[in-house]
Formats: sequence, structure tokens, C-alpha cells
Amino acid sequence: MRGIWIIAQNTFKEMIRDRILYGLLIFALLLIGFSLALGQLSFTEQVRISANFGFLGIHLSTVMLAIFLGGSLVVKEIDKKTILTLLVKPITRTQFLLGKSLGLILVMLTGVLGLGSILFLVLWMMSFDVGMGFIWGLLGILMEATLILSMSLCFSTFARPVTVASGVLGLFLIGHWLESLEFFIKKSDSVIYKMVGKLMVSTFPDLEVFNWRSLVIYHETVSTKQALFAVSYLVVWVSIFMLIASFIFSRKDLG
Amino acid sequence: MFVLEVNGLRKSYKKGFIPKKQEVLKGVSFKVSSGEITGFLGANGAGKTTTIKCVLALAFPDAGEITFFEQGPLSLDAKMKIGFLPERPYFYEYLTGKEFLKFYGQLSGRFSSVVLRSRIESLLKRVDLWAARDKKLKDYSKGMLQKIGLAQALIHEPEFVILDEPLAGLDPDGRMTLSELIRDIAKEGMGVFFSSHLLNDVEKLCQKVIIIKNGLVEYEGGVQDLLKKTGGRFRIVYIEGGVQKVHIIDGNEGELQSYIDQLRRRQCHIIEIKSDNTLEDAFKKIGLGS
Repeated sequence: MRGIWIIAQNTFKEMIRDRILYGLLIFALLLIGFSLALGQLSFTEQVRISANFGFLGIHLSTVMLAIFLGGSLVVKEIDKKTILTLLVKPITRTQFLLGKSLGLILVMLTGVLGLGSILFLVLWMMSFDVGMGFIWGLLGILMEATLILSMSLCFSTFARPVTVASGVLGLFLIGHWLESLEFFIKKSDSVIYKMVGKLMVSTFPDLEVFNWRSLVIYHETVSTKQALFAVSYLVVWVSIFMLIASFIFSRKDLG
Repeated sequence: MFVLEVNGLRKSYKKGFIPKKQEVLKGVSFKVSSGEITGFLGANGAGKTTTIKCVLALAFPDAGEITFFEQGPLSLDAKMKIGFLPERPYFYEYLTGKEFLKFYGQLSGRFSSVVLRSRIESLLKRVDLWAARDKKLKDYSKGMLQKIGLAQALIHEPEFVILDEPLAGLDPDGRMTLSELIRDIAKEGMGVFFSSHLLNDVEKLCQKVIIIKNGLVEYEGGVQDLLKKTGGRFRIVYIEGGVQKVHIIDGNEGELQSYIDQLRRRQCHIIEIKSDNTLEDAFKKIGLGS
């Protein structure tokens, strides 16, 4: 555990100096700012628009962090050859992967907390009573980004960052489209469409499981059953991706 | 004690659009002892770096056996006793020299934070980087990076260090500092295994050399033995009949001995015998030099 934590701390230090991070944070801040401006246009829907845009900004920036920084986490170490001295120290390759992931999760957590606090202030200034739904919304974003990070990391053990980013971006879109796909499967008469659709639904991770971003508007919260399911879903998928990543990376020639 | 034993190491890579197998190591075997500086020599592409990567489990051999400290293959316990400086080291540029050593020291998990702090201080002083301790590594020169890299390899007081081209790219001062440091750590009982192109430095530093050619060990033994074996140029200064004379022998030690016997029979007075043979000459003679 000590090795994982030390690598995580170093990864955190490395990431907070990355330009991509600040680019994405500015993007999220702009979206939150834009939400304020848009909110002014509609008197009745002001809070709804601000909350939606705010969450969209936090969601997209965190997911992009997981895709782009997650996909280059290991490749960067291999390309810069910093991995050579690291893996000769008493740590395993799996510990290295876990440490790098934990470092990025800490960065994402910091980002979500920072941007979440700004959004909270915006909503508070609108005299909106923010309930537990707000916390669940942020937690859902972090859980989804963690799953996406594990995908990026897994694919980066055998593909280049551009390929990883394109692939994971595709899976991200599919992951939010699976519920609609299920709906169309029920409506469709085509056997092939049904077969392919069912295969996709059962093969790809459903990212809508973590979509609690609209709860804040309706003052709703997540039930214990829903939360437990989401946590189990996350643990299972992250374990699958990390196991594959560890399996491939443990057999990879470096340098 | 042998700190490293390599037996029958084979490694091939597949390269090209239509993958073609290329055998880099064809059965490399050698041993490295503690308290000794062993030079690992070979031309570019001979397999030096691949051997080091296989030894450190950074690449996986197709066949062969690697034993550390006469116990077994590379384990986490064995890693605690090994230090490594790669060729052309790249480090985390955003860390300062002190932070960098702290990171690697913590990873090795051998010392408490108090002991580690004093160890960092003494190592930075030893490699002449104390003044640059708070500078970011991105502002370090190549020589400074090489020095901090060596300090990183030594941070956890290993029993065996592997150095890949540690003296390359250093100015004469830097080379002298690092050479002295390498000599000192070997005196303290550490096994040092280092690959180098700088034959002059290897000759001065190493007791033993391993020469690799085309993926096979061509020579393993003492530096002096190699010089004797490959012969060379000897310069004999002697006095015969009150006149000082000089004779040059291009040959091995046997030829030198027979010429000395001849001079004795002629009742000459030998003043000086000097060997001009260098590792570079030996290298050329066994077909490895340029």
C-alpha cells in the first residue's frame, strides 16, 4: 500500500502541473459562467438551466481528464523512460498501475470538489436550497470518471494515446446511449438489430447508472439500493479493466 | 559472494511491418561478485542494454536463468538491495533534486523519514549537488542529471548497483567525481556492474570485464588478464656495454619474457619495462574495436 500511495502522490504532483488540466478547468468554469448568463434569459427555469450547465461542465471536464490524462498515464512514463528506475524499486507493476490511477482519481476529486463548490455558490446566490442530490450528482460524476479512467488505463497498456482516446470516447458515448438502445430494441422487429443491440447492452458498461446530475433540481436523492448497485457496478467494471491492464502490463517489455 | 549470476540468457524481438524475429541475446552467461567493479563492454547493438533490462525484469527473456545474491530470481526483497541508473536517464522534471531523492528513498521503504533526510543530504554532498538541491530537475545539466541519477541508485544503500553508461556525457570533473564515488562504493563492499563505451574509464575502474559481441559473451575475466592475453606493445630500456638502448616488442607476455631472458644472458642491465597495451588495443585485437 505504501508504494501505491507514494506513486499516487507523485502522480498528483505531476498532474496538477499539466496544462490539459487547467484547460479543462477553464472550460468547466466557462460553462458555469455561461449557465449564469443563460439563466438570466429565463426567469422560471433559471435554477434548472444553471444547475444543468454547471453539472455538464463538471461532468465533461472530469470525463475528459479521465480519457486524456488516463490514456497517457503509463505511456508517458514509458516514453520518458522514467518507468525504468521506478520499477526497479521494490514495487510490483500492478502497484505501479494502481498508484498512477489513484493519483489521477485524487486530481479528479480535487477538480470535482473545486468546481462543485463554485456551482454550489452559484446556486446558493440564486437562493436555491441545495440538498443531498447535489452531493450525489458530484459523486456520480466521480464514479463515472473512475470507470472511464480504468478503461483508458487498460487500453493504454496495448495502444497509443490517440487510439485510446478515440476508443474510450466511443465507449463513453455508447455508455450513455445504452438505455435508449434498450428502448429501441423493444420497439424493433429486426432480429439482427435486436441481437446486436442486446450484445452491446450486455457487453458495454452502462454509464447512466451514475447519472444523478438532475436530482438536485427536483430535490431528490439516491436510494440505498440504487447507491449500492452503482458502487457494486463500479467495483466490478473497474476490477475487470484493472485486471486486464495488470495482466497485459505485467508481461510487457519496457524501454 | 555472487551478487548476480546470469545463465544462458536468450532474448529476441519481433520487428518490422511483417514481424521478423531478431535474436539479440543468444545465450549470455556471466557472474558478478560483491565488492568488485565489473565493466560490461560491447559495441552498439551488441546486447548490453537488453541484457540489463532482462536482468532487471524490465524485459522478459525467452530463456535463461538469473539469480541474485545466490538466492533466486528478482524478488521485491532482492529489489531492496539493488540500485539502477539507466542509460540517458530521464527524470521527473518538476521535482527538485531533494524531492526527487525523497521520492525514490520513500519508494524503497528502507529508511525512516529522519534517516532518509540525512541520507539525502549526505548523498547530495557526495555527488556535488548540494548547492543545486532546491533547483528543479528541468534546470539541471546533463552531467548533473547523471549525478542525481547515481544518487537515486544509491539512496537505499543497495548491495549491488547496475549502471548503464554512467560516465557518458560528463565533463572531466564530473567523470572524476563519479569514478571516485564508484570506486568508494565498491570499497564499501557493494557490487558494481556497469556498461560503458569509455574503455579508458573501464580500464581505470574495473577489476573485471565482460565483453559481449553479437549477443554472446566473448570474454569474462580480469582486466589485467585480458591485457596479458591479447598481448601488446612493451618498451624495454636497458644498458648494454655502457650504452642505453630501447627495444620495442609487439607481442604477448611470453615474447617479452624470452627477450628479458636474452638480455640477461647478454648481461644487460634492464632499467625499465613499460606496457603500452590498453584495453582499447585489446578490444581491437579481439575484433570488437573500431
